[in-house]
Amino acid sequence: MDFDMGEGVSALRGELRALIKEHIPADFLGAFTNDPADLEVAQGFCRVLSERGLLCMAWPSEWGGRGASPWEQTAVREEMWAHHEPRGAQYMGVNWVGPTLMRHGTAAQKEQHLPSIARGETIWCQGFSEPNAGSDLASLQTAARRDGDGWLVTGQKIWTSYAAMAQWCFLLARTSKGERKQQGLTIFLVPMTAPGIEVRPISSMIGPHHLNEVFFDNVWVTEADVLGTVDEGWQVVQEVLAFERVGIARYARCERLLLWAPSALGDRWDQLPDELRARWARMLVHARRARLLAYRVVDMQIRGRVRPGDAAAYRIAVTRLDQESADVLSEMVGLSDLTDETATRFKRAVEDHWRYSRASTVASGSIEMQRILLSRSLLASR
Amino acid sequence: MIIDLSDEALEFGVTVRKALESAGGDQLVQLAESEPETRERLVAPVLGELGAWSLDPRAGSDELEAAAALCRSVGYWSVAYPVAERLCRPTNLDVDGLVVVGDVAPAAAIAGTNLRWAAVDMGGRRSTVASLGPSAPPRQSAFVVRLGLEPLDDDGADDLPLALVLPCWTLLGVLDRATDLTRDYVLEREQFGQPLAAFQGVQFQLTDAEVERAGVEELAKYALWTIESGQPGSLDSALSLRLAALEAADAVFRITHQLHGAIGFCDETVLSWVSRYSLPLRRLPFGLSGTLDQLSRHLGRRGLDGLFTGAYPE
Repeated sequence: MDFDMGEGVSALRGELRALIKEHIPADFLGAFTNDPADLEVAQGFCRVLSERGLLCMAWPSEWGGRGASPWEQTAVREEMWAHHEPRGAQYMGVNWVGPTLMRHGTAAQKEQHLPSIARGETIWCQGFSEPNAGSDLASLQTAARRDGDGWLVTGQKIWTSYAAMAQWCFLLARTSKGERKQQGLTIFLVPMTAPGIEVRPISSMIGPHHLNEVFFDNVWVTEADVLGTVDEGWQVVQEVLAFERVGIARYARCERLLLWAPSALGDRWDQLPDELRARWARMLVHARRARLLAYRVVDMQIRGRVRPGDAAAYRIAVTRLDQESADVLSEMVGLSDLTDETATRFKRAVEDHWRYSRASTVASGSIEMQRILLSRSLLASR
Repeated sequence: MIIDLSDEALEFGVTVRKALESAGGDQLVQLAESEPETRERLVAPVLGELGAWSLDPRAGSDELEAAAALCRSVGYWSVAYPVAERLCRPTNLDVDGLVVVGDVAPAAAIAGTNLRWAAVDMGGRRSTVASLGPSAPPRQSAFVVRLGLEPLDDDGADDLPLALVLPCWTLLGVLDRATDLTRDYVLEREQFGQPLAAFQGVQFQLTDAEVERAGVEELAKYALWTIESGQPGSLDSALSLRLAALEAADAVFRITHQLHGAIGFCDETVLSWVSRYSLPLRRLPFGLSGTLDQLSRHLGRRGLDGLFTGAYPE
C-alpha cells in the first residue's frame, strides 16, 4: 500500500498554496458576500490559475487542459475548498459544465463556451430544482414548447446558486410528457440576459448569492442552445449529479479549521474543557475517515468500478463531519475571548463554516437520497 | 496511491476464510464455549497449516498485509482465539504473543491458551504474563482473564502500533459478518407481506451501519500503511483506528440487533454469538472513552497528521 500521492501532487499543492497566499487576502471567506470586491478577487484568481494552466487541469489539452491525473484533481479540490473556494462559482464551469459540454455539446457549443470557461470568464448557474421538484427532480414543471425554429421557456427554478451573477444557465425543462417522468426532459443553455428572466435573491443564513429564485416568462431559446437530444436530458442530468457527488472536498476545510484551532486559540486552548478537546480529537479522526472514503471513490473511479453506493457512503460521512466539526469549533470559539487579529480571522472562518455546514446534508442531493443510493447498493444481489 | 492490500494478501485472506469455514465456521465459537479445553485445537492447527504462525508482520509489508487479511478472516467467523495477539509477538522477546493492557486490572482474552505471553502498556512498559487469574466459564467471560504481570523492560513503545492495529482488523471482520448476517436477514424476513428490506426505516439503519463499517476499513488500511512505511504517526493512526472501530462496533451491533428483533438474542441465531464475543475486542485494553482519552492526551494540541500538517505553529 502507499497513501502518498507522490512528489508531483505535493509540488502542485505547494504551487496552489503559494498562489493563494499571494493573491487571496488572509480574511477571504469566499466570493459570495455582500462585498463585490470578494467576487473580483475570485475572478482575478481564476485568471491567474488559467494563465498557469491550473484552472482546467483535468481537461484535455485540446481545450486548454493538461489531462491532470485523478489524484492531481483531488489535490486541487482539497486545496480550493480548504481555502474557501477562491475560484468562486467557476468550480461549476470547470468541474461539470465544461466536461458535460465536451461530451454532449455540438461543435458550435464547444467553441462558444469552453474557451471562456477555461479562461475563468463565465459564471454558470444550474437550473434544476423547483418549488415542487427537489429530491424528486424529474417531477419538475418548467416547460419549453416549440415556437417556430426555437423554444419558449416558462416556469420557476429555486435554490439556484449564483443566479444573480451568472451569464449562463444550465437549464432542465420539460419538453414532452413521456411514459415515465424521466422522459421528455431537455437541457437548454440559456443566456441569463435573455428577456423574460427574473432573478430574485433569497435571504438566508448561509449567506448572499447562494440561494435565488429564477423566473422564466416565455423566454426565447434557439434550437442551437439545446444540449444533447431533445427529450433525453435525464441521462445528462445523471452525469452532472455524479460529478457533484464527489465534487466538494468538504473534509479539507474541516481538517484545516480543526488544525488551526490550537494556534488560533493560543493559551486559551489549555483552558478548554477536556471533554471539548477530546471531541476535537474525535473530529480529526472523522475528517481523516471522510478523506479516506473520498480516496476510495477516486480509486474506484480510476479502476472503472465505482458504484453510486460508494460515493453515497462518502457523502454521508463527509456531510456529517461538516456539521459536527462546525459544532465543536463553534463551541471552542464561544468559550474563548478572541480579540487579536489572527484569532478574529479564525472566529469569522468558524462562524462561516458553521452557517454553511447547516446545508451540507441538504445541498447537492440530500443525505436521505444518499442513504437510498447506498441501501440499493447494499441490498442488491451479490 | 495504492489504497488496497496486495492481491496476495487478499487472496490469503480468502483462503483463510474458506479454511475456517470448512473447519466449522460459525460453529467454532460455539464449540469453544461448550468445550473450552478444545479452543486451541479447533483453530491453531488449521491456521498453522496455512503458515499463519510463521508470519512475521514486522518483517515487511508483504507479511504485515497478510497478517491483517488473516485477522479480518478470523474475525469474520468470530473465532474465539487470540490470533492477532499471537501475530504481534515481539521478535526480541522469547514469547508466543503480546497483548496491550490498561493501567488498572490488566486482562486479556487468553484463558486456556498454553502459550507464553507478554504484555505492554501505553507507556511502553513490557511485562511477562506470569500467571492467569481464575477464569469464569466462557459463557460469562468470553475467555477474558486477569493477568499477573512481572515487569520486564521499557522498550515496548515500538510494539504498540502493531499490537493495537491487528486486533482492529479482527474487529473489522466481526463487523463484516454482523453486517452480512443482517443484510441477509432483512431480505429474507417478511412482515406486513414484504421483506423487512423494503421498509425505508430498515434501509436507512442499514446504511448508517455500513458507513461506519466502511470508514473502519479505510482507516485500518491507512494505519497499516503507517506501520509498514515507518511513518512517525503510527501510534496516532492506531489509536484513531481503534476509536473509529469502537464507535462503529457500537453502531453496527445496536443496529444489527435492532433489525434482527428478538431472534437476534437467541443462540440459534449467529448474531447472538458474534455480538457477545465481540466484547473483549471492544473493551480491552480500554473501551471507547478510554481510547478517546488516550488519543486526546497523545495528540495534545498538535493534532493528527494530514493535509495541513505543519501549516500552523503549535
